[in-house]
Amino acid sequence: MAASYDVIVIGAGHNGLTHAAYLARAGKKVIVLERRHLVGGAAVTEEIFPGFTFSVASYVVSLLRPEIIRELDLPRHGLEMLPLDGTFTPMPGGDYLWRVNDHARTRREIARHSRRDAEAYDEYGKAMVEMARFVKPILAMTPFDPARPGLKGIRDLMFLLRRFQRLPEQDKYNQIQLMTMSAVDFLDQWFETDVLKATMSASGIIGTFLGVRSPGTAYVLLHHYMGEIDGAFRSWGFARGGTGAISNAIASAAREAGVEVRVSAPVARILTGNGRARGVVLDNGDELLAPVVSSCVDPRLTFLKMIGERHLDGEFVEEIRRYKFRGSSGKVNLALDALPDFRSLPGPGRHLRGAISISPGVDYMERAYDEAKYGRYSSRPYIDIVIPSLTDPGVAPPGKHVMSCFVQYAPYHLKEGTWDEQREAFGDTVVDTIAEHAPNLKQIILHRQVLTPLDLEREFGLSEGNIFQGELSLEQLFFLRPAPGWAQYRTPIANLYMCGSATHPGGGIMGAPGRNAALVLLADFKRGRVRT
Amino acid sequence: MTAPREVVIVGGGHNGLVAACLLARAGLKPLVLERRGVVGGGCVTEEAGEGFRIPTLSHAAGPMLPWLAQELALQKHGLEALRPPMRLFAPSPSGGPGVRIHEDPAGTVSDLKAISAKDAGRYAEFHRTFMKLGAFLRPTLSMTPPSLEAPGASEIWSLLKIGRAFRALGRKDAYRLLRWGPMAVADLAAEWFESDLLRAAVAARGIHGSFAGPWSAGTSVPLLMQAALDGWAIAPAATFRGGVGSLTRALAEAARAAGAEIRTGAPVVRVTTAGMKVAGVALESGEEIPARTVVSCADPRTTFLELFDPADLEPGFLLKMRNYRAPGVVAKVNYALSGLPAFHGAAGAPELLSGRIHVGPGVDALERAFDASKYGTFSPNPCLDIAIPTVADPSLAPRGAHVMSVVAQYAPYRLRQGDWDSRRSELAAAVERTIEQHAPGFSSLVVQRQVITPAELESEFGYAGGHIHHGEQSLDQLFTMRPILGFARYRGPLEGLYLCGAGTHPGGGITGGPGANAAREILKDRRRPASR
Repeated sequence: MAASYDVIVIGAGHNGLTHAAYLARAGKKVIVLERRHLVGGAAVTEEIFPGFTFSVASYVVSLLRPEIIRELDLPRHGLEMLPLDGTFTPMPGGDYLWRVNDHARTRREIARHSRRDAEAYDEYGKAMVEMARFVKPILAMTPFDPARPGLKGIRDLMFLLRRFQRLPEQDKYNQIQLMTMSAVDFLDQWFETDVLKATMSASGIIGTFLGVRSPGTAYVLLHHYMGEIDGAFRSWGFARGGTGAISNAIASAAREAGVEVRVSAPVARILTGNGRARGVVLDNGDELLAPVVSSCVDPRLTFLKMIGERHLDGEFVEEIRRYKFRGSSGKVNLALDALPDFRSLPGPGRHLRGAISISPGVDYMERAYDEAKYGRYSSRPYIDIVIPSLTDPGVAPPGKHVMSCFVQYAPYHLKEGTWDEQREAFGDTVVDTIAEHAPNLKQIILHRQVLTPLDLEREFGLSEGNIFQGELSLEQLFFLRPAPGWAQYRTPIANLYMCGSATHPGGGIMGAPGRNAALVLLADFKRGRVRT
Repeated sequence: MTAPREVVIVGGGHNGLVAACLLARAGLKPLVLERRGVVGGGCVTEEAGEGFRIPTLSHAAGPMLPWLAQELALQKHGLEALRPPMRLFAPSPSGGPGVRIHEDPAGTVSDLKAISAKDAGRYAEFHRTFMKLGAFLRPTLSMTPPSLEAPGASEIWSLLKIGRAFRALGRKDAYRLLRWGPMAVADLAAEWFESDLLRAAVAARGIHGSFAGPWSAGTSVPLLMQAALDGWAIAPAATFRGGVGSLTRALAEAARAAGAEIRTGAPVVRVTTAGMKVAGVALESGEEIPARTVVSCADPRTTFLELFDPADLEPGFLLKMRNYRAPGVVAKVNYALSGLPAFHGAAGAPELLSGRIHVGPGVDALERAFDASKYGTFSPNPCLDIAIPTVADPSLAPRGAHVMSVVAQYAPYRLRQGDWDSRRSELAAAVERTIEQHAPGFSSLVVQRQVITPAELESEFGYAGGHIHHGEQSLDQLFTMRPILGFARYRGPLEGLYLCGAGTHPGGGITGGPGANAAREILKDRRRPASR
């Protein structure tokens, strides 16, 4: 059977679609194979209950690379971003902290808690924008191999060093701290208000198996400021029609460029011969051949399941086994008959239109983590809530609402029992926790969907339920992601590439891994490194 | 007014004395001012009545940097190194042989077979790997961290040399180094071994004295630093005849012999300045000693926040110093015992107790002990680092009797309830209960007990925050960032001011590294006065 494609992409997550779109625009004939019945991977919108559509897994957008929006012309393909207006943090004592996109208002609100912090908040914002400016080009970089840097690697290293050297002294200091410190230690230097530090530090732990006091969590604080310098849209936002609309827009751009997208086509194996990838076999036995295979699924699935250990070097297998997933989060999606009414700020105000963060204190956050360390889900978890039906009424019947609750910590590995046994108890914990702040919640729930890390694995193919396809800890970033020596989107199998969140720069609806990998692959085609 | 001294050294800890030796040998006649009645700082052996001599704080040497030990030739001043046959013994709480790390790796391998054949099989490579990485890292300990602003030619040269040595490590070990640097020590230990007790014994080095648990990122660094010193990942048991304090007594003698003057009972309360230069020091007694150069062996927070008039320092610098993290987490309990405690697994084999004894049955137990300190209380089940110096050197106690030195972790400097005066006996009881669990009958052996709380580590020994390493050795406070970026080259922000304590590279432990590196920089500046 002759190869009818240049590249087969496994997995139609937003990275796989982005990857395919870039390849097709460069003239390659590409097919994307998706296991589920719809595209999007973890960025999907589905009608879970009649009339209620949910961004089932991933629920906000922050980092979708502006160059991708521009180059793929996503607005023309239906992408419309809606701002997420601020963060409301209810507190147990009846008070709250409500930061909004209106700068002056946020300042006044923070000053209500601490005048000093209100002053520091401005300074902090300015410093973070500078830091984000420094980090931004790294996202689009193909990591070099420090053990075999080559000329290009040395050039890249020098570029980074020089850039760092040119930073003002204060920025250097901040930058090093951001890369190495815990979110709380970092914020302690700026602020004194506990709830402010707690709710800000939360962004540092999302999707990781780390606590707000764990070193390495400060870095993610930057992500909130990336959007601002991109100027394309607000730092956090929704897509109209839910997160799936982003995937659909990218898929539409890909199809327009000639990509064939096939859903309900689960890949069972990657075919190899002479140490090269040569195609895939689907679950139903169909074989598809192509000189290049790009995998958007995580390395455990790619190598241990689809390639198989016997085709790989023992040391590489060991590295893939060592790659840490440790999913730590779950998701509870609620269909509501009315809006939740928060005790600390009653009524259906603007505060419900942004993120609602159950992160009332640093100790609260840390205790939630402590329980997970020993294999239990948090009895009082951190919860990040959004109610998209307020900004995008089409997702629920008139007068009704959808509420998405991202929950941490829910460790994939439970010390006692299984997630199948504990699913509903976990859902109850989440509802109880929110109901402590919004007592009417239990009465207004029409339907409830509880996704444990095990469900995320089963449903979305995320190993151990890790939403970023692997921990974003320092030893798994940049030239170490996903494995030392294999951070350039290539793999030990010739003509097999990786293009998912398990490659640099990692997870989140960013699209950068897909794009970076496409650029590497296209360059390899050009230089004749891809032998067909 | 008397003529100014060439050099005054504030603090007669081992680093201050090393600097004094080296500066005196260069003809500078330094004056060392020590607050306590004895020199030695954290490295002292003191009488505890009735023939008992105890290591008040430190109970083992780092050991000293090999080249420095050779250069100082302290054996001429009566110093005799002791190297017990055991490195570390970790009793198992449930009985059994426990973990026995011998100085001779073959002995360790053969003993490990009793607890895990797999771990016994891995140990030789573990040992070899740290030997190799240690040899690579060793030169960095004696290096002045490079200036990031304007690296000199010799610095670029030494960095290039490091780069070449890095490549010579080979891919596998080069990547190990890169991955381990930021990694949690629990993960590192788990990469090698399956026995929880052995993992805990390895992890213990990573958390010693740190406000971090084995699951905190960056806790593998102390293992790499230990390897840089002597090629081991496991805590050292090196000491001297007559106790660790023999080292500082010999250093003091050597310094005096070379022309240094040492005054004890002479607490410095202020570093005086004239314009942008140091002018000397003022003692508690009111005496002022003018000096051209002041070298502070005190920790950075004490130096800059206590000994200086804030008006003499820049506000930005002061702010960074306030943010320098030094949250102490250890307490010290010393015992005079009527006999040798009967640790599980060591019956009839007193030589097993000749090195360090690690009490902390598993990685989770260490992490739980840490958890308490995050919420401002001490652990009811602390992990203990114990030494019984009388096993190797019976002269430290009356015949048949023993002294036992215990570092108890975690005991946070800041308590949320009560203070250290009121909770001292509660802490001592927790420590004793924990020892009793591992060495039944222990309590009946106690003749005398000394408890040193974190508050006393500060008030009596001058460690700000009670931090035994003069500040956290986390990734953001290492090498070019120790104590803070821009001031890691042993020079303070004023002309004539230097730092030579553990708050500078290469940090804490009885190594002499900071003192030696600082002395070298001071002498360099004197040879090239224009370079300042």
